[in-house]
Amino acid sequence: MTAASLVVNEIKGYHRFIKFLILLVAVAAVASMARFVFGLGPTTNLNDTYPWGLWISFDVVTAVPLAAGAFTLGAIVHCFHIKKLEPLVRPAIVTGFLGYSLVCIGLLLDLGQPHKGWHVMRYWNLHSPMFEVSMCVMAYTTVLLLEFLSPVTEKFGWYLPMRVLRWLEMPLVILAAAISTLHQSSLGTFFLIAVDKLHNLWYNPLLPLLFWVSAICSGMCIIIVEATACHKWMGQPNEGVLLRTLAKTLPWTLALYIALRVYSLLVLSNGPFFDQPVLTLLFGLELGFGFILPFFMFTQQSVRNDDRRRVIAALLVVFGLILNRFNVSMFGMMDPNQIYYPSLIESLVTIGIIAAHILFFVLIAKYFPIFEHHPETVDYSLPDRFRKIDGGKGSEETVPVVGQPVAETND
Amino acid sequence: MSKVDTSKQKAFLIDMTKCTGCRGCQVACKQWNQLEAEKTEFFSGEGYQNPPAMSEYTFTRIKFRDYQKNGQNEFAFYKEMCMHCEDPACASVCPVGAFEKTAEGPVVYKADRCIGCRFCMIACPFGVPKYEWSKGLPLVKKCTGCYERVVEGLQPACATACPTAITYGNRDEMIKIAEERLAKHPDKYIHKVYGKEEAGGTSVIYLTSLPFDELGFKPVTLRPLPGYTWQALRMVPAAFLTVGGGLSALSWITHRKDRLKKEREEEAATAGEPKEDK
Ligand code: SF4
Ligand code: SF4
Ligand code: SF4
Repeated sequence: MTAASLVVNEIKGYHRFIKFLILLVAVAAVASMARFVFGLGPTTNLNDTYPWGLWISFDVVTAVPLAAGAFTLGAIVHCFHIKKLEPLVRPAIVTGFLGYSLVCIGLLLDLGQPHKGWHVMRYWNLHSPMFEVSMCVMAYTTVLLLEFLSPVTEKFGWYLPMRVLRWLEMPLVILAAAISTLHQSSLGTFFLIAVDKLHNLWYNPLLPLLFWVSAICSGMCIIIVEATACHKWMGQPNEGVLLRTLAKTLPWTLALYIALRVYSLLVLSNGPFFDQPVLTLLFGLELGFGFILPFFMFTQQSVRNDDRRRVIAALLVVFGLILNRFNVSMFGMMDPNQIYYPSLIESLVTIGIIAAHILFFVLIAKYFPIFEHHPETVDYSLPDRFRKIDGGKGSEETVPVVGQPVAETND
Repeated sequence: MSKVDTSKQKAFLIDMTKCTGCRGCQVACKQWNQLEAEKTEFFSGEGYQNPPAMSEYTFTRIKFRDYQKNGQNEFAFYKEMCMHCEDPACASVCPVGAFEKTAEGPVVYKADRCIGCRFCMIACPFGVPKYEWSKGLPLVKKCTGCYERVVEGLQPACATACPTAITYGNRDEMIKIAEERLAKHPDKYIHKVYGKEEAGGTSVIYLTSLPFDELGFKPVTLRPLPGYTWQALRMVPAAFLTVGGGLSALSWITHRKDRLKKEREEEAATAGEPKEDK
C-alpha cells in the first residue's frame, strides 16, 4: 500500500461528522481561491463604505479573544500555581494554536496584498495598532507552536527537544500572557481611531482594557465549553471537578468587566446612547444576556457544580463576547441607509475556518497525547525513563475518539 | 507621527462661494493622474453630482447642493478631496507606514509598501482613501496632492485648472487670506475657516456661505486623531513589563512556597525516621 492509499483508507474510516467538516473546509478552500481569481470586489460585499466585513469582524477581531483560553489557563496553572487544573492546559493550547493559525489565514485572505504581509516586519510603524497586533499574533503563534510541540515530541519520543521545551515551559507561559495582554487590548485600540464613527454605546477610551478583560472571561468559558464537549462527544473523562474550580473565578472577572463597562458608559462616554433602537437592542442583548445573566449564574454554586447549567452559562458569555466584537467592529459603525451583510463566499470561507478549527482539533486529539497529560504520570527529569512510560508508541489505543471504532472495523 | 515644519507647507484655499461648479478640477485631476472614466448616470447618488462618490477612479469631486435663496433656486458646491491632514490618521494607523506627510504638505502613499489591510480607510475621518475593488491584488487610491508637481514648483493640476475658487500657497498665508476675507465680507461667509483646526489642522482650507454640515462636510473632532490611539498604544511597553514581571514574581513566590512546603515535609519525614528507629 502506498502512503496515499493509507491516508485515503484512514480518512474513509472517519466518522460522518468529520467527513462533513472536511467537505466544509474544502468548499472554503475553493471559495478563497475565487477571492484571488475574481478579486475582492466581486466576491465579497465589501466596498468603500465597508472596507472591513465578516472576515475582519469574525476571523480576526472575534477569533482572537475566543482563543484566549491558552494564555489565561497557562497563567492560572503555572503562575497562580493551581496545579490541579493542569490537565486542561494542553487542549487549551491546541485550541489556541489552531485559533491563531486560522486567524493568520483569515487575515491573509483579507489583505489586498498578502504576498507583502511580511512588510510589517520590515517597515515598523510603532504608532499603528495594526502593526502591534500583527507582530504579537506572529510572536504568539510561535510561542503556541512551541508549547504545542510538547505533545508532539512526547509522541515521537524525541528527548532532547522535549527537555528543552520542558525547560522553556515557564518562560513561555509568562511570555504568552504578556504578549496576549498586548494584542488582545490592541484589538480594542483599533477602534479608538473611529472617533465619530463608532456609536457612543461602544466608543470609549477604555476599549482596550475592556477587550482584554472580556477576552479573559471568554477564554475561560471556551475551556469549559470545550472540555464539556470533549467529554460528551469524544469520550474524554469528565473534568467537571476541575471546571468547577475554574468557574469559581468567573464571577470575579465578569464582575470586573461589567463594572468597567458601566463606568466607561456613565463616566467616560457622552450620549446620545439610545437614539437607534436596533443598536439599543444589540447592546441590551450583549450586556444583559452575554455578561450580566451569566455573572449571576456563575455566582450560584448550583450552577457551577452542574455540568449542564455551567456550560450554558459559559455559552452565554461566548455569545456575549461574539456579539460585543461584532457590535464594535461592524454593527456600531453601520450606516442605516446602506447595510452590509456578508456575501456567500465570505460566509463560506468563515464557516470553513470554523470547521477547520474543529476538524484539526479532533484530528490532533486523535493522534497526539493532548488529553492524557496528567503531570503525575509524566517524569519530568529523565527523558529516558519517560520513554519507557510512554513507550514512544503514541496513544491511539488509549484515546477513544469519535470515529475510532469505525476505523478499527475498517482495518 | 514625525511632526514636520508647518511653515513651509503648502495648502489649498478653496472658496466655495467662488466655485461655479464647472468641474474643471475633476477633469484636470483625471487627466493628470491618468484615471479611467467612470460610467455614470444622472441621480445615481444624492443630488446632481457625478460620479456618486469618490472612488478608485475619482480622487476629487464637486458635490452639488440646491437650496432656496430669496425665492430663487441656487446651487452651492463643495470640492471633495484628501484633506492632507497635518497629523494624518491614515499615516498613524498604517502598519507599514505607507502614508507620509511630506514637508511640502501633501500626504503621499507608497504603494510598494502597502499590504492592503484597509485600516487607513477605517481611520480617515473624511472617508478619503478608496480601494481598487475590481482587482485581485488591490491597492489604495487617493488624491496625491499632486506631489510630483509640487516638488517641481508647479501647482496641483486641479488648482491650475480652477478659474475662480482655488488658491494654492503657503498654509500660513492661505489661512491669513481666508481670515481677511471673513473679516471683509462677514455677511457673505459662515464665520469659520474649515481646516484650520479640524482633525488637528489640514492642508485644505475651505470657506463657504452655507453651513458646513449642509454641504456634506463631515463633523470631525479638532484633536489630531493619532492621539486617540497613541494614548493607549504608548502604554504597551509598560503593560508588557507589568504583566511579564508581575507573573514572573508571582510564579517565583508560588513555586518557592511549594518547594519550602516539600522541604519541610521531607525534613519532617527524615527527622521522624530516626526517632522511630530508636
Ligand atoms: S484626509 Fe484622510 S487620507 Fe487624507 S491625509 Fe487626512 S487622514 Fe489621510
Ligand atoms: S491598506 Fe495599505 S496604506 Fe492602508 S493602512 Fe493598510 S497597509 Fe497602510
Ligand atoms: S491635488 Fe492633484 S490629485 Fe489631488 S485632487 Fe487635485 S489634481 Fe487631483
